[in-house]
Amino acid sequence: MSKRVIVIGGGVAGMQTAATLAGLGIHPVIIEKGDRLGGKLLNWHKLFPTFTPAGEVLDTLRRQLKDVEIMTNTEVKRIEQSGVVLNDGRLLVSDAVVVCSGFDIFRAEIKEEYGYGIYDNVYTTVDIERMLNEGKVHTADGHIPERIAFLHCVGSRDEKVGQKHCSRVCCITGVKQAMELKELFPQSEIYNFYMDIRMFGPGYEEMYRQAQEEFNIHFIRGRISEASETIDKRVQIKAEDTLIGRPLKMTVDMLILIVGMKAGASNDRFAENRGIELYPSHFIRPRNQFVDNICSSAGNIFYAGTVTAPKNVGESLNEGVAAALRVSKYLED
Amino acid sequence: MMNYYDHFILPFAIGVTVLFTVILYKWIRWFVRMPQEDRRLVLRGIPTRQTLGAIGEVFMESLLHRRIWRVNPLLGYMHTSLAFGWFLLIAVGWVEASLQLPGEIIPLHAHVFFKFFAPEVDYGITGGLLGNIMDLLLLFVLSGVALAWFKRMRSKALGMQRTTKHVLGDRIALAALWFIFPARLVAESATSGLKHSTTFLTGNLGEWMVNTFGTEAIMHFSVYAWWFYSIVLGIFFVAMPFSRYMHIFTEIPLIFLRRYKVHSYEKAKSFDRFQIEACSRCGICIDPCQLQKDAGITNVQSVYFLRDRRYNRLTQEVAYNCLMCGRCETRCPVGIELNTLRLNSREKFAAMPADNRYAYLSSAADRSSGTSKVGYFAGCMTLLTPKILRAMDAIFKAAGEEVWYADKDGGVCCGRPLKLSGEVEAARRIMDFNRDLFRKHGITTLVTSCPICLKVFREDYHLKGIEVLHHSQYILRLIQQGRICVEHGHNSFTYHDPCELGRGSGIYEEPREVISQIGSLLEVDENRENALCCGSSLANIAINDAQQNRISQALAHELADTGADTVVTACPLCKKAIARNASQEVKDLSEVVAEALGQ
Amino acid sequence: MVQFGYNISQPRAINMDKNDMMISQKILRTMPELQTCIACGSCTATCTAGAITSFNFRKVHTLVRRGEYKGAYEEMNKCMLCGKCRLSCPRGINTRGVVMLIKQELGEYR
Repeated sequence: MSKRVIVIGGGVAGMQTAATLAGLGIHPVIIEKGDRLGGKLLNWHKLFPTFTPAGEVLDTLRRQLKDVEIMTNTEVKRIEQSGVVLNDGRLLVSDAVVVCSGFDIFRAEIKEEYGYGIYDNVYTTVDIERMLNEGKVHTADGHIPERIAFLHCVGSRDEKVGQKHCSRVCCITGVKQAMELKELFPQSEIYNFYMDIRMFGPGYEEMYRQAQEEFNIHFIRGRISEASETIDKRVQIKAEDTLIGRPLKMTVDMLILIVGMKAGASNDRFAENRGIELYPSHFIRPRNQFVDNICSSAGNIFYAGTVTAPKNVGESLNEGVAAALRVSKYLED
Repeated sequence: MMNYYDHFILPFAIGVTVLFTVILYKWIRWFVRMPQEDRRLVLRGIPTRQTLGAIGEVFMESLLHRRIWRVNPLLGYMHTSLAFGWFLLIAVGWVEASLQLPGEIIPLHAHVFFKFFAPEVDYGITGGLLGNIMDLLLLFVLSGVALAWFKRMRSKALGMQRTTKHVLGDRIALAALWFIFPARLVAESATSGLKHSTTFLTGNLGEWMVNTFGTEAIMHFSVYAWWFYSIVLGIFFVAMPFSRYMHIFTEIPLIFLRRYKVHSYEKAKSFDRFQIEACSRCGICIDPCQLQKDAGITNVQSVYFLRDRRYNRLTQEVAYNCLMCGRCETRCPVGIELNTLRLNSREKFAAMPADNRYAYLSSAADRSSGTSKVGYFAGCMTLLTPKILRAMDAIFKAAGEEVWYADKDGGVCCGRPLKLSGEVEAARRIMDFNRDLFRKHGITTLVTSCPICLKVFREDYHLKGIEVLHHSQYILRLIQQGRICVEHGHNSFTYHDPCELGRGSGIYEEPREVISQIGSLLEVDENRENALCCGSSLANIAINDAQQNRISQALAHELADTGADTVVTACPLCKKAIARNASQEVKDLSEVVAEALGQ
Repeated sequence: MVQFGYNISQPRAINMDKNDMMISQKILRTMPELQTCIACGSCTATCTAGAITSFNFRKVHTLVRRGEYKGAYEEMNKCMLCGKCRLSCPRGINTRGVVMLIKQELGEYR
């Protein structure tokens, strides 16, 4: 009888892990709290830096999961040595567990000064992906935006909201969305307000340059301190243009907050297991950051994807493969 | 005429002389240096009822220590037994001496060492009864000494998590104090034994001593015992005016001065000395201090601040490191104005000349908008919490109130943060700007969402003809006048009292009344006068973000423990601080009201 | 006096070989967190005084850290200590403490 491995989370990392395990002749069970597989990518339009539709990636993964056991609308309460306990109290016995529960999106409402959820025309990058998917990008009252501002690092590198870490992928997301919007609205002016631009992946820096040169996206070095709403429902923002050293005020039709990655809320619950440790950021800390970066101290618990740190899709997919191989090696021993 | 002299009284006599010389010198000096207004207040106050009140208060506080009883009965008993017990020993001792030595002029020391100088043991009613009463009183005081010993070892049993760390002078005085009454017991017992007294404590103990060690040995021993008793008394009296025990006598004039309405003030003055030296360093202020409890800062509490200031070694670090939340002030058994003293100690560190400061304000544009008799001053912090601005707009609209917005598009700070930093003179310039602005627009009501602004508008702006309201008061008034309606729902709320609103301005009821009209209110354990601080107080210029955050975390936990759906507060700074660590929603009172607005 | 406001032609280069770094180092020793500034400009953007004057907190403290002290005292005196910058700072720097500290250390440089 083949060994049974529970994969917590059906996002890209979980799907890749399960697919690889199945290929190795191991019996994976994906436990997904949502009603279908795909995770955050379900709501994503296109992926940087190639503008590949997110659906394409998901389709490929889904095809590999034909015979895999999947439990949707199911949530894991805690992880034990013998398996996982579900929210309804059931214990699912397994030989190993791979935690692929991903991250949470930072709630932009917490940065009240930016007016998300208060002003009509303040959005997050998640909203923009949804709007792009729906093919309906416009201001709250249905107009084409003439001036758009993106704000980088909302919920990243911000001690005041307990998010000290850099979420890594938001810089490139902001650049990608700026280009997409510019493509939709060639007449619009787009400004990206940033503290640092961190282009860590292959082709990212090139894309940044392309955004500046070909798309005429304006990059202003300064973090917006606060936003207010004008009578005509536009958003007035305040920042310092730090390269000049003077305060800057601007009224825009849309303010888009590039929200960061927050450690998954379930991490705290999982960490009740003694083999699972957390970083101060509440992301899960692997046994070590190098040769065992997908392993816990518990032996039969493994990690893949953003449950351990902010990562892009490619990195998460790679970790899915790596974790599956380590599981298989563990089960052989 | 008896001979009332023996060499051993010398240490005592010297001690008493030094004690009263120093105390009188200090009091006269402080009083003479007081500003003329203060002295006038005192002179005017003396022939009034306040004097009688002060006498009563001196009895209740300096002798009985009523306020300490409220902190913890055992701690109260300890203080009462020491202070009132000692006082009675002196008073009854005087009566005893006078009755047994009629017609004689008895020098001071003779009744202190009465057992030694008494010609013979009086077995009569006066002698026997008074002797037993004196023994009982001695036992009463000794029980206090025993508790004091016990407190040093096990402070928690007396309701204190932490006790004061004392300086050397205090330790000497404390050691002397601890020895005084045991020494008295031994000396009196030895003499009683030799004189065959029958009182229950010293008589019996003395009899036992004589029986056990022999008359000869005890005769020798008693000489040393009286010397020892006199020496510890002498040491204590000499150390007293230089140590924390100065409080015993300083609290008395302080009570009178306070009754005559003399107060400390934003600038240091001579009256402050009466308050500073009235601190007994009991350390009751340590436990409530959140800097100690949550942020691990242990050398800045009011007791240490007053000590450092008293001995002229106050550092900027200590002066600046205080939230001025007022939690210690509400518990201080002596009623010292701790916040004001902290504030006025900061000026010498800031000491920035005020000339030319904020000259730019004279050319600053008036960015206010609207016209109305009702003005709204959001406050700097509120500009970073736009939900409050939104909610206030909705409330004004629902009430049909026209509003003049003082600072919607940016304004000038109220000046309180600057004042709290010790820059009192410079702060006045900012205040003048805002006051002129309010006058220019002819408002008669000024509503603010920020308790920090509220406090300074009320206390320093002298806005005659303009009623200053916090929005919680204003909203309650709108509800009571029927100008807005709120609907009662099923939500449960807990309310956090902001320091400047609650302890600072005495506004506890209005926010609670408003909330109770909208949902159920679940109180935290430490609320109202005892409410915790959010840690973001502008009064603390020293602590770092991590320390602020730890204080906020502790508060957020307390609030979460109520199980309420929503945390409500009434200060933008508190809101921000709690929201950093809260697991449930954190809203300003105005938001809750705006959401519940009905027809 | 050094222009603290924007000036297209700065009078001279910052000469790190000549500048006296003693006070700057003392300030950073007292408040090491100032070194964590990432120059995002939130403080200056939100600044109450900055809205009506040329006061730029970020620039002044950065210049002080480079050993450029002249005029810093006067500039910092424009601050109203309202505390908005402390609330905005993503690094959690005690900005009000920085203002007080710089004024204290540079009172001589008036």
